Amino acid sequence: MAKFKRRSPSYLAVGRIATAHGIHGEVEVEIHTDFPERFTPGARLLVGEGKRTLVIETVRPHRKRLLVKFAEVTDRTAAERLRGDWLYVPIEEAWPLAEDEYYEHQIIGLEVWTDTGEYLGVVDHIIYTGANDVYVVQGPRGEVLLPAIRDVILDIDLEAERMTVHLLPGLVDETP
Amino acid sequence: MGRSLKKGPYCHPKLLRKIEELNQRGERRVIKTWSRASVIFPQMVGHTIAVHDGRRHVPIYITEEMVGHRLGEFVPTRTFRGHIVKEKKTGRR
Repeated sequence: MAKFKRRSPSYLAVGRIATAHGIHGEVEVEIHTDFPERFTPGARLLVGEGKRTLVIETVRPHRKRLLVKFAEVTDRTAAERLRGDWLYVPIEEAWPLAEDEYYEHQIIGLEVWTDTGEYLGVVDHIIYTGANDVYVVQGPRGEVLLPAIRDVILDIDLEAERMTVHLLPGLVDETP
Repeated sequence: MGRSLKKGPYCHPKLLRKIEELNQRGERRVIKTWSRASVIFPQMVGHTIAVHDGRRHVPIYITEEMVGHRLGEFVPTRTFRGHIVKEKKTGRR
């Protein structure tokens, strides 16, 4: 089996500018990070495909979004030019995670093996349910859905790009 | 109009029977169900139930906080997968 080294992304998206707000250059930002506390005055974010650096001047909550004023954006015309642009942070500035937590991009692409040595495939995507996350694995058995719980996910080795799992009875169809 | 209190919460009888059988045997196995409307009972805590999302069965682990909610609330029937890599965390529970 040919093994390709997974490429880590250079930037992570943390928000998206939805629209301009008011006439003083404020913008409404949809939050796309699990760490909205990173939106604080003085924080630097990269905007759009050009990754222009913007510094946050003020932040305030507004319904499910944030109203953000960037120091470099002083009027509504400038704010409207940013509409639809994504806000990024460099991967080096990703928020530190607790033990046993991983970023989505670290999990996607991992090889999945069972504790009995069977190859299940590669993590294709993650379903975020209201309960546990579910890792969708594509491989020789077709699509296998693994709940991200301690009984099932035994080990995640990012260096070896490998996940070891225990298949609970009834989790996969017995006929491969 | 809400459900009559006299009847108590709804759960598919076959699902509840299977859970109670597993509890009696002290066994843990994934149970498949199509019954998204079934209310989560305290007996289900600690079990993994694969709930149908219209296409496949999505396994969810039942915890105490989920009691009283319906199974379908935890399994989305629509999925949107964008291409942007977000600062989104995941991990074992």
